[in-house]
Amino acid sequence: MKMSESKKSARREETAGLMEYSTENLVPFGPIHPALKEPEYFKLVLEGEKIVEVIPRIGYVHRGLEKAAEGRPWVQNMYMFERTCGICSFVHSLCYGQAVEELTMYKVPKRAKYIRLIIAELERIHSHLLWVGLMGHWAGFETLFMWVWQDREIVLDIVETISGNRVHKSMNAFCGVRRDMPENMEDHIVEKMKYLAGRARYYREIIDTEETMLERTQKVGKLSVDTVEKLCAVGPMARYVGIQNDVRLNDPYAAYDEVPFSIVTRNEGDVQGLLRLRLDELIVSTDLITYAVKHLPEGPIRVKIPPVIPAGEHSSRCEAPRGEIFYYVKSTGGRTPDRVKSRQPTLANLPAALEMLKGQTLADVPIVLTAIDPCFGCMDRMSFLDTETNKQWTWSGEQLRQYGIKHYFPNQSRNSPILKETHP
Amino acid sequence: MFRLMLQTPVTEDYPFKPITLPERFRGKLDIDPARCTGCQVCALVCPASVITMVDIGTRKVGDRVLQVKRPIFELSTCIFCGECVDNCAFKALEMTKQFELATPNKSDLTMRKAVSS
Repeated sequence: MKMSESKKSARREETAGLMEYSTENLVPFGPIHPALKEPEYFKLVLEGEKIVEVIPRIGYVHRGLEKAAEGRPWVQNMYMFERTCGICSFVHSLCYGQAVEELTMYKVPKRAKYIRLIIAELERIHSHLLWVGLMGHWAGFETLFMWVWQDREIVLDIVETISGNRVHKSMNAFCGVRRDMPENMEDHIVEKMKYLAGRARYYREIIDTEETMLERTQKVGKLSVDTVEKLCAVGPMARYVGIQNDVRLNDPYAAYDEVPFSIVTRNEGDVQGLLRLRLDELIVSTDLITYAVKHLPEGPIRVKIPPVIPAGEHSSRCEAPRGEIFYYVKSTGGRTPDRVKSRQPTLANLPAALEMLKGQTLADVPIVLTAIDPCFGCMDRMSFLDTETNKQWTWSGEQLRQYGIKHYFPNQSRNSPILKETHP
Repeated sequence: MFRLMLQTPVTEDYPFKPITLPERFRGKLDIDPARCTGCQVCALVCPASVITMVDIGTRKVGDRVLQVKRPIFELSTCIFCGECVDNCAFKALEMTKQFELATPNKSDLTMRKAVSS
């Protein structure tokens, strides 16, 4: 039977563009779904219970931060980029700040570097604890969730005492930090870090022995080293297969080149490995904070810099709890930046996450998607979506340039082989 | 197990008991109108466009007539970063410990203290 045009388009909408797959096998996941903290859409193609294909659609919380940055003074952008993410807020402002500092001739005082390290590591502990709690929640182990989030309050209280706020710390300034460490805080922090390391060891033991967690996480989301290398995953997603990928060690920033520490890698390559990895990392972070608090150098915490930044361009990399974040800043010597680009770890980890989902059952989707510690609010930057055919694709800069020429000068016959290949 | 059953809840007993706030807590913004000189630095650094400067009259310096400006604070958009307080050279601004700002009327959060006095 021939379908009418209206019926065809209705069907196309129903199947979200996946005409080649039958409707019975397609499960839409999101954009609003209890397993996702933020809106994101995944089209899951199933064969029985098994996932054979996952097609993401990103861009639901695109806020246009990079464009907004071009119209604001340098210092105002510091607070705007801090609000890119609600969990790893400090590291965003740190990374942006470092890129801008490189353009100026001022140096960051040593004490400020140590305070930056302490706050960044506190943030890592809080983010990892939050994640372990969520993993417990999705695996059906609610008690773990309650315990872990209770311990997370300890970290948040320390952060609140140092900075005044629990989440958006507003600690960073260009070439320094805004607040010094409170007096007589050292013993308190050391004691609490010792307690948290003990708790982390206890959770590690639970995860290794508890049936609920083992059933849900072992051999789920398996990836090989080759796949992870090919898909360029960053942070814990690379370390859980044994790749030594950590900006703190590979390209030290803040005071990471002055404190002794070793990064954790694991070889399991499944969700269980990710859990062990993040809890081990948490223990390393507590050691780092204890060392930094004990060896905090004396001196100034900030150098005041003028509101005009000299012309030039620079990039900066930092290790956020989720992986490597990247900021590129270009200045033309004015009061506002010419261009700011930020790349977040979830965008880099998403291809690997989709690979993890393939071959799993539908029931594993929430736990695997939570396992990459997604932060879609951070990730949503730029995507192409053809609303007529509902197809998505990506372009390189050269392809975009050629498309621009073709769009504005359609009469000039420029038959680009690159465009033909990728434009659907 | 029994110890856990007998202990009090770990959560704060908040609306019924006041909570202790840390020393550096950043709450509602407040201004001392007597100290403000209308230099506009706070309006320049504010990331959330909370502060707008309005003319409240003129002032004569020698032969020149200068506009006198004072800030109006739209606290409903404040993000509590405290950058204005840091940059105020005359110590006219401060962050109070007040954080219960919920109100049915948005205009309650517009602070015209510096203009009206």
